[in-house]
Amino acid sequence: MKVPDERDDVLLRRAAKGDENAFTVLYQRHQASLYRYALRMTGSAWAAEEVVQDVFMTLIRQPKKYDANKGEVGAFLFGITRNRVMKHLDRLPRELSLELQSNSGVAKEPVDLLTPAVWAERRERVEQVRGAVLSLPAEFREAVVLCELEELSYEEAAERSGCPIGTIRSRLHRGRALLMARLELLRDVPRRATAGR
Amino acid sequence: MNCEEFQAFGLDVGTSRIKSAEEAAAADHAGKCAKCAALAESWDAARAELSLFGDATRNAETPARVQMRLLQELRAQKRPVEIYRRGGMIAAWGLAAAAAIFGVVSWQNWRTEQHRLKANKNNPAVSAVGAASQSSQSGDYVIVADEDTGAFTPLPGALPVTSDDGSIYQVRMQRASLGALGLPVNQDGASDWINVDLLVADDGTPQGVRLHEDATESATLQ
Repeated sequence: MKVPDERDDVLLRRAAKGDENAFTVLYQRHQASLYRYALRMTGSAWAAEEVVQDVFMTLIRQPKKYDANKGEVGAFLFGITRNRVMKHLDRLPRELSLELQSNSGVAKEPVDLLTPAVWAERRERVEQVRGAVLSLPAEFREAVVLCELEELSYEEAAERSGCPIGTIRSRLHRGRALLMARLELLRDVPRRATAGR
Repeated sequence: MNCEEFQAFGLDVGTSRIKSAEEAAAADHAGKCAKCAALAESWDAARAELSLFGDATRNAETPARVQMRLLQELRAQKRPVEIYRRGGMIAAWGLAAAAAIFGVVSWQNWRTEQHRLKANKNNPAVSAVGAASQSSQSGDYVIVADEDTGAFTPLPGALPVTSDDGSIYQVRMQRASLGALGLPVNQDGASDWINVDLLVADDGTPQGVRLHEDATESATLQ
């Protein structure tokens, strides 16, 4: 049985009949991009893991939800992921404080390549940027994540967000402005602290 | 390019989202406009920091435990379907076997019934004799009996005949066959085989019947 070259919709049909190989290939094809999107949008590895699991559970339990006439399996999966992420962000004010510091999902760089001071400084900076990105309103954050971090074109980002290109441009513009302001502020805090001594 | 256009396109410099002509125009405008140049500088710094965050999450993947959980779920979804399928197969085979057995039994009953009806169509007397001869074909015997001294039970409608006027046949028959001769039969033992002496007139019609001495105990005329 040849599976790796199969199209997504064929794999999905097989997975729906209980073919584990087909499901594994389908999962491996899409899990990373969905996880990264969820991670960058929620800022929480725990939440991203749960979102991806939920998305594929839906695929296992209700494979007939996918309609080939409406688009590809990848777009379908991204749509579910986006819905789950947005639902998570709606609940976020109750959950954020417990997760922010402990479980960011940011990969740890190998310490031996950097001096401890540089490593600590860089890590702190990454955390600040992460905090600045997470502080953006969800729709602006999504535009920044898709266009700047995922490096998608405006067309692709618009398709994934389900909105016109003009809306994505507008959201990105405002998202960039807010992000610049926040990062500028964060850059100034250490400077001011140093100047005050 | 003016300031408004620069804000719309200028910050895409260095990406694939902007054409080279627009990129050149943006760089030209930034060289002339201090405000837009400051904006571009600020965004470059922000983008550099953003790329740190992007790099830190670039290779992030779902933990392996998620795949394990999903495969478990897939197996759990698959199992009930297999159980239902197997149960359905067993039920279908069972029904088919039951239908086949029912068919065979019904066919045998029908054949038996057809034989019986064919036999009854003939003269009751002949059928009684036929039944007797049939029993002879199936291994029993028909013999001309010796003269017996016992009294014959006359058959309904038969004229009184003495044993000298006819022949006496010793036959083995099922007790139910006596019904065909017009005699009442106990239905409880209708299928029992009995030995009787049949008094047949010269014209071939049965006139009387009596139980033979060797008849079984249960074979009694009612």
